[in-house]
Amino acid sequence: MNNVIEIKMGGLEIIDDETKELKTFVGSCVAICLFDLVSKVAGMAHIMLPKKSDGTKFTGKNDIGKYADEALSYMVNDMIQKGADPKRIKAKMAGGATIFAHESETSIFNVGSRNIAFLKQILKENNIPLVSEDTGENFGRWVRFNLHSGKMTVTSNLKKFEKTI
Amino acid sequence: MEILSTSNDLQKLNSVLDSFIVQKTIPSLRSILEEPITHHLRNTQEIPLINLDLIISNLEEMNIMSAVYIKCVGDIHMGVLLYLPEEESKTLAAKLLGKPISSELAGIATSSISEIGNILTASLINAISIDMGYKICSSVPGYAVEFFRTLLEAVVSDFGNEFDTLVVSNVELHGVNSGIGIHILLIQDPSEVKKLVI
Repeated sequence: MNNVIEIKMGGLEIIDDETKELKTFVGSCVAICLFDLVSKVAGMAHIMLPKKSDGTKFTGKNDIGKYADEALSYMVNDMIQKGADPKRIKAKMAGGATIFAHESETSIFNVGSRNIAFLKQILKENNIPLVSEDTGENFGRWVRFNLHSGKMTVTSNLKKFEKTI
Repeated sequence: MEILSTSNDLQKLNSVLDSFIVQKTIPSLRSILEEPITHHLRNTQEIPLINLDLIISNLEEMNIMSAVYIKCVGDIHMGVLLYLPEEESKTLAAKLLGKPISSELAGIATSSISEIGNILTASLINAISIDMGYKICSSVPGYAVEFFRTLLEAVVSDFGNEFDTLVVSNVELHGVNSGIGIHILLIQDPSEVKKLVI
């Protein structure tokens, strides 16, 4: 049985089986994990954008993790339904890199830093502590979250490192 | 997962883009590299975001790429990602600058790659503007050295489309003498397809 659940771009998964791991790849997107290690419930979303530009709700069926605001709301509600205590939910996140460098200082390609800032704001508004992060820089990251240990492993093939946060 | 474009629309878009590339992009590259250019517009397909892995080949997964990303806005909204293996980009930079690139790409060498991206993108949007009357502006080029997976993820994220799918056209340009191969991905919202296949 495959115990690693791979989350695609804009995807989101919730698990309540601590033998399973959540995994995704992010560049300027952000992998955010919410978890309650007592109830053993966790979720990971592959956030592409802070929120939908026209203010309407998402229309896709497979991209529930795409927008930060909708993804976090969905994750918290689903985790509570699966037994998580909202007071115990904590967060870890990785990604939000600025992949393309510009000679102009007025870069319009700053979606990574916008994602990070917006996620931090929503976490604060929802009283969810961000316990660790590996964000920013200019490289892509493979991100794995282990529900048993609560550890997030971040790997860069380009920079050739692996770290646990 | 709803696919919005018909196969007929995608085929037509493929032909339209191919004609613009032949008209303007190939002559531009031929002039810069001073050699004959062959090209191949592999395909135009509408791909669900969750299936983007489908366009990452094993070769692209294993090689570090040198890439330029330019975003075009206005009457047409299009993302243009040009990329080639990092080692090949040194050959390209050396040819443009007229001197060998011995170590890492940096400074003027990366600027020269960005400039190629700028010129090829401008040639394409010029062709579209002249033929169809659309007003299109392009961003400053963004430069990166990374694996293709990271480049694609960053471009799709930046593109910020509101749909579950993207329309992706895959172009290859080859310098006949130098062997330099430049790959170009043209990325559009499915809602944009009809604008080019009138």
